[in-house]
Amino acid sequence: MNSDRDDLIGALSAGLQPVKPAPRIDRIALLWFAGSALYVIAVTQLLGPIRSNALAQLAGEPRFLLETLSGVLAIAVTSLVVFRAGIPGALTRRFAAFGAVLMLVWLSNYIVGLVSPALDPSMLGKRPHCVWETFIYALPPLAVGFVLVRRLYPLQPVQTAMCIGLVAGMMPALYMQIACMYGAGHILLLHILPGLLVALVGAATAWICRPRQGET
Amino acid sequence: MNAASLAGRSSQTMTAAAVEDYTSDERRWAALMVSAQSGHEADYCLLLTEVSKVIHQYLCSRFGHHDFIEDCVQEILVAIHQARHTYDSHRRFRPWMFAIVRNKAIDSLRRQRSHHNALERHREELMLDTEHSNSGHLENTELRGRLIDALSPQYREAITLTKINGLSTAEAAAQLSISEGALKVRVHRAIGRLKRLVQADTP
Repeated sequence: MNSDRDDLIGALSAGLQPVKPAPRIDRIALLWFAGSALYVIAVTQLLGPIRSNALAQLAGEPRFLLETLSGVLAIAVTSLVVFRAGIPGALTRRFAAFGAVLMLVWLSNYIVGLVSPALDPSMLGKRPHCVWETFIYALPPLAVGFVLVRRLYPLQPVQTAMCIGLVAGMMPALYMQIACMYGAGHILLLHILPGLLVALVGAATAWICRPRQGET
Repeated sequence: MNAASLAGRSSQTMTAAAVEDYTSDERRWAALMVSAQSGHEADYCLLLTEVSKVIHQYLCSRFGHHDFIEDCVQEILVAIHQARHTYDSHRRFRPWMFAIVRNKAIDSLRRQRSHHNALERHREELMLDTEHSNSGHLENTELRGRLIDALSPQYREAITLTKINGLSTAEAAAQLSISEGALKVRVHRAIGRLKRLVQADTP
């Protein structure tokens, strides 16, 4: 065998430190999802009133409830995708595609809503700074998710960080449809779009923090 | 040849003895990695030694016998070392390891630059027999791996000249009588195609 390789193996093996057993990745993903969701709900409630009739609409309008639940499911599954991407070989293409399809199905509700909305569009409950709120509230979950996934070994760090940003951004974007006014155009432009921008922030952060060539 | 047929070929050629070896290797490597996670140097050294041979064979059979393969094997060993805390003993070892191998192999190929050393290494043989190196080397399927071989001739030429022979974009473009832009597009697409083939490949 190549002597350079022997030397490398010797160097890697010498003074080998024990490592903690591999984390249960799905559990971590769901804890991050639940913690982030609770944080988003809490901070949104604390910093402004939610739409007064939102809960009644959830109970009385099945399509609105379905739209909201499809968002929750899409975000939860994409959280699993993101954390599984941190473990080599743990994320299957099929599961990643499943998450992507759920996300597209949820977001397509708002495109359909431009023509046929789940609720009658109304200015009731409009929050004046919802666009900034969505963006800023997403940053702490992004930071926590980014740190957690970086402690693993994502093979595609930039794409993985972009997905963390997407999930983190979509959480406040989804809750804003309860906390803010309902209108498909408003949701797409002032809730979903800033949420998508958080995905770019995640990708940019990973790009900046990527290991340079030659670093080990 | 498509990815499915490549995968099919590898599974068809697996004899009963090979399956048994595969299973026993799988179990032994998983046990060695668990031991390595506890800090046992000797087990870790044995594991890296064994898998490095397998990785070398894997890369040579897919990409051919080239100088960059050894660098790639060493990069993969470092990556396995860095990722060892993510191995879960409840999962199989090979999918974990080969996810790293595939990723690093493509990264390594993408990063191959038309650097001076590589150029110097190959300049002599190119000068000695330009015609032979234009056609003979590129068409010698014995030297190429089967994934490189699975590329279309245009992509194969582009990737062999730039990433394996180490020619600059300008030199490779001149040799192929195409523009530098067209060559860059071919190389980019060839790497994308190789990435898909590697991901679909069964080790």
